[in-house]
Amino acid sequence: MKVWILIFFVLIANQANSQLKNQRCFVCHGVKNFGIVEQGKFKSLYVSREDFEASVHSKFACVSCHVDVRVIPHLTKPRKIHCLQCHFEGNVVGAPVTAKPEKYKESVHAKAVAKGKNAPDCKDCHTVHYVRKPEDPNSSVYKTRVPELCGGCHQTIKEEYYNSIHWAGIKRGELSSAVCSDCHREHDILPPEDPRSSLNPKNVIGTCDKCHSDVKLMKRVGVPVTNPEAYKESFHGIALKFGVVKAANCASCHGYHDVLPSRDPRSPIHPANLAKTCGKCHPRANENVAKGKFHVLPGEKESGIVYYVYTFFKWFTLIVLIGLFTHIVLDLVGHIRRKRKKASE
Amino acid sequence: MDPKKEAERLIKEVEAEEGVTLDAEFREKLKNEIAEKIRSEIERKRKEIKRKVEEEEEYFVRFSLNVRLQHLTLAVGVILLIITGLPIKFHESKIAELFFDLIGGIQVSRILHRIGAGLLIFVSIWHTLYIAFTKEGRNEFKELLPRKKDFLDFWQNIKYMLGKTNERPKYGRYSYIEKFDYWAVYWGMVIMVFSGLILWFHNFFLGIFPKFVFDIAKEAHSDEAMLATLAIVIWHWYNAHFNPHVFPFNPTIFTGKISKERMLREHPLEYEKIMKEKLSREGKSDER
Repeated sequence: MKVWILIFFVLIANQANSQLKNQRCFVCHGVKNFGIVEQGKFKSLYVSREDFEASVHSKFACVSCHVDVRVIPHLTKPRKIHCLQCHFEGNVVGAPVTAKPEKYKESVHAKAVAKGKNAPDCKDCHTVHYVRKPEDPNSSVYKTRVPELCGGCHQTIKEEYYNSIHWAGIKRGELSSAVCSDCHREHDILPPEDPRSSLNPKNVIGTCDKCHSDVKLMKRVGVPVTNPEAYKESFHGIALKFGVVKAANCASCHGYHDVLPSRDPRSPIHPANLAKTCGKCHPRANENVAKGKFHVLPGEKESGIVYYVYTFFKWFTLIVLIGLFTHIVLDLVGHIRRKRKKASE
Repeated sequence: MDPKKEAERLIKEVEAEEGVTLDAEFREKLKNEIAEKIRSEIERKRKEIKRKVEEEEEYFVRFSLNVRLQHLTLAVGVILLIITGLPIKFHESKIAELFFDLIGGIQVSRILHRIGAGLLIFVSIWHTLYIAFTKEGRNEFKELLPRKKDFLDFWQNIKYMLGKTNERPKYGRYSYIEKFDYWAVYWGMVIMVFSGLILWFHNFFLGIFPKFVFDIAKEAHSDEAMLATLAIVIWHWYNAHFNPHVFPFNPTIFTGKISKERMLREHPLEYEKIMKEKLSREGKSDER
């Protein structure tokens, strides 16, 4: 019996398919308060036609994705659909295929979803019907909207982030400033314990470095571009490079979500707060730690006294070694000359 | 060589030459006498050779056991410090990575570095006590003090090396080269030990010194380490190993012994002094 019904529907649907234009869907779904009551709650089934038609999927018919809708009005609830229905390797509808879904599968979000927890998958960030390119200012994943998007779940972190210099930069229109995804990445968001994570202590420097060693960008925003380099030369940087994970990385001192410049009294690197910040690891740290420059590169004149120590040793070593080397060469040449003289005699 | 056979041969030779035959009894007596003479002559020669060999092998004790152990401790400490310190200075190199992998991580290397530092500090205290409280140490220290002669020797050596003169400078117990090495260690020690201690006990010193002191300590430690390493590898090793006079290796600092021949060539004035003292001592004992 069931088989007969199915065959019946397929026949009908085949006939109706060509006429099944989006127009007919929007008759109901284009009405703002269209919805159903499900488990005692009102569930909106409204789809903004205007927004859908501005999306990357505008050229597709609703039924291209909702393939189980064969008659309109459909009497049953359409099955849940998934992006990978089209976005898979070898699909025939021309849906772009990237490594992003695979990356996502590794992420904390996918793992949580697999455990049955409430965590986002594609649609939670990219929306269902209004997917736009990330460059599009109206996209749900447009740079300036990312904090709000992630903050939908991570609310306290969002509040912290809104205090940071990075958000201040975005608000000022400096779109190169960092939002969530710049540090946490987009799809392969991994826990800091994972060695592949951009937030793993060993990778933090590289994560910050992406922007903070960009000469043009740092010049534009007025941040010293040599800081990551100086860090790599410091004991902290060297220890971390060779696996001492407890050594301070950028975030240990600067904080992360609420990064602020040293001139801001709320910043952990404000001179008044340095004793406390250094004191996290170095118990005897006091106001002395604020007396001196940070991220010192000995070869730079801005490094003050360290530059002069460096310069002194540079010349001193050069002069001493030239002297010693000359003495050795004279000794050797003299020795050879005498030996030859003796041999010829 | 059998003296009797040799004597027999000599007699036969004379007999044949003169065409006579000696009386048997006289002949036997003569043979024994000649054999005895040959035997004593051989004995005398043998003794002479032995004495000559001994004379050639004559050596002087240049360094006491105390000094040799000081040098050994210093050498082990410094080598340990160099091989564990350089990979930190040149942390970007592949060799640094390889070294830390080999040794079991940077934390192991840090411990080894501090063992080296301990040896270095220990030997500096040892040496200070040695020159302050032992007669030998005070004498050695006095010998090592720079004086006008060192500058004249230096000048003379330059002329000698350039071939302007055939007269080598006559060094005393320590040449200006050895004195330079000795005093260079003071400079190095002061910088390395003080900056090193600040870095080692940074948590303690953080409560005392402003931050820039640590930056200076780090820079000085790193730069002076480079200078010391180069000076040791190029200069000190040349003078002690690769110099054609001593190549491949001058063992005196480890054995304490120096041959008379080298003594005469390298420290003629000290040799003279020792001989004079010996003579005057022998003279005094003769008087007695």
